[in-house]
Amino acid sequence: MFETVIGLEVHVQLNTKTKLFCSCPTSFAHRQNANTCPTCLALPGALPVVNRQAAIKAMRFGYAINARVNHHSIFDRKSYFYPDSPSAYQITQMHKAIVQGGELFIDLEDGSTKRIGMHQAHLEADAGKNTHDGDISKVDLNRAGTPLLEIVSAPDMRSSDEAVAYLKKLHSIVRYLDISNANMQEGSFRCDVNVSIRPKGQEAFGTRVEIKNINSFKFVAAAIAYEVERQTEAYEDGVYESEVVQETRLFDVNKGVTKSMRGKEEAADYRYFPDPDLRELIVSDEMIEEAKQMPELPDAKVERYIQELGVKRYDALVICSTKELAYFFEEMLTSNASPKNCVTWLTTELLGRLNKASLSIEQSPLSGAKLGELVSKIENNEINGKGAKDILDRLMEEDSSIDALIESMGLRQVNDDGAILAIIDDIIAQNQDKAQEYREGKEKLFGFFVGQVMKISGGSANPAKVNELLKKKLG
Amino acid sequence: MQIDSTILENLEKLSHLHIDEDKKVEIIAQLSDILSYVENLNELDTDHLDASFSTLQGGTLMRSDEPYCDSAISHDILSNAPQSQDDFFIVPAIIE
Repeated sequence: MFETVIGLEVHVQLNTKTKLFCSCPTSFAHRQNANTCPTCLALPGALPVVNRQAAIKAMRFGYAINARVNHHSIFDRKSYFYPDSPSAYQITQMHKAIVQGGELFIDLEDGSTKRIGMHQAHLEADAGKNTHDGDISKVDLNRAGTPLLEIVSAPDMRSSDEAVAYLKKLHSIVRYLDISNANMQEGSFRCDVNVSIRPKGQEAFGTRVEIKNINSFKFVAAAIAYEVERQTEAYEDGVYESEVVQETRLFDVNKGVTKSMRGKEEAADYRYFPDPDLRELIVSDEMIEEAKQMPELPDAKVERYIQELGVKRYDALVICSTKELAYFFEEMLTSNASPKNCVTWLTTELLGRLNKASLSIEQSPLSGAKLGELVSKIENNEINGKGAKDILDRLMEEDSSIDALIESMGLRQVNDDGAILAIIDDIIAQNQDKAQEYREGKEKLFGFFVGQVMKISGGSANPAKVNELLKKKLG
Repeated sequence: MQIDSTILENLEKLSHLHIDEDKKVEIIAQLSDILSYVENLNELDTDHLDASFSTLQGGTLMRSDEPYCDSAISHDILSNAPQSQDDFFIVPAIIE
């Protein structure tokens, strides 16, 4: 039996307005190479100057994961020759990163949590982009110099499920912290996976293979599954030493296999050395204070929802999985509707409808406040649940006020005993035979009477009242 | 630290230099001399000092996150590039 050992390296593009070492905008440019200057094009004499905000965002991440934020860190040059890097080196942090250690807790399917240790997180500059076109390559350096935070975990994950849970948690945290847009498809959240296997009980790690640039959680799971199978087979066939070598592999999305990136693994020596253009990065007390200002993070939110709002753990995890959903939920609560009903109306009613319409929570046609208002109207007996569902259907299509819809759809709940009794009397009078059968013990008929009363009232009668009064009248 | 033929071979690779067979013994001796000279530094007692990466005092300067872009600059640079087209820098095909 084998054990899988997984460590993850995630490159998070920080959402600063400017690049890491120059004032060029990081925003989308319509023209290639429009966002460039002598510094990010590495012209002789141009010097890098650190973006204070990028350092603060890195520090904020450090505090969020209980890491040590180094008050002194240094930048190193990593040499490599490729047209996407005009300086022929990347400025990164190898010898002393800004964030060291830390931990992150992942939520597993069975309801348990697991602690994943963090190795470090360091600042570095992104490269440009090449497009290949026949016998030339076109180079666009708009992205060159964009700040990245490379977040390196300890090899603490033991299955692809844990790896995916880690990525989801990390993704959620950087989104809550608002340090990155973390969009996998757009490349602002890129992950490399390190995978090895070892016989169960063996302490030493096996040979680690790095799989680069996988752009969805699904592919991460698929790439790990393939790699574990490949390594296990090699071990069982006695060819582990020759088949599994420390190398970089690429995941082929179409075939579901990983392939060796031959040629690149020889570039093992990047000639790291401290960048003489940059002195130590020393963080000031003001920066520390600024970095420590952060919103409530998902783990704390889940606990608060459970302890203070009485939300079930499963629901709390669902709602807190993204900040958009959590903030929507909190907006609902401002209407004074009960947390329990807000959970149901958000996770079942609204998410169900959004799903059907292929919309995300950010694209919801109605705000959290409005859904909260709808829920509070049920709780105040202004409308019943069925009526509220009909209103929600309409709100998915049009932007009307709830009160106007209640009136125009005739859904104002009838709570007045007299009005309901009048309907009940009518129904019983028209269905004497059924009333008799019910009294003789055919209890199933009760549902028929409830249905009739609701129908005649146009769905507006208070169902609890209907039940109560019917019981009296028929009993 | 001893320089041997394996280390020399690695250094040749990293520096893209080829050293003729009949020169190797001489080069190894010279490199070893240089290293042993540097080893004089070991006589200094540095146990009570933190590692430092610079002889300069103070940290690097920082700037605020305010964008500035002068398209005339990138235009100038592109027009002086050995080859450019549609505002792309053009290089011989590179195979990934």
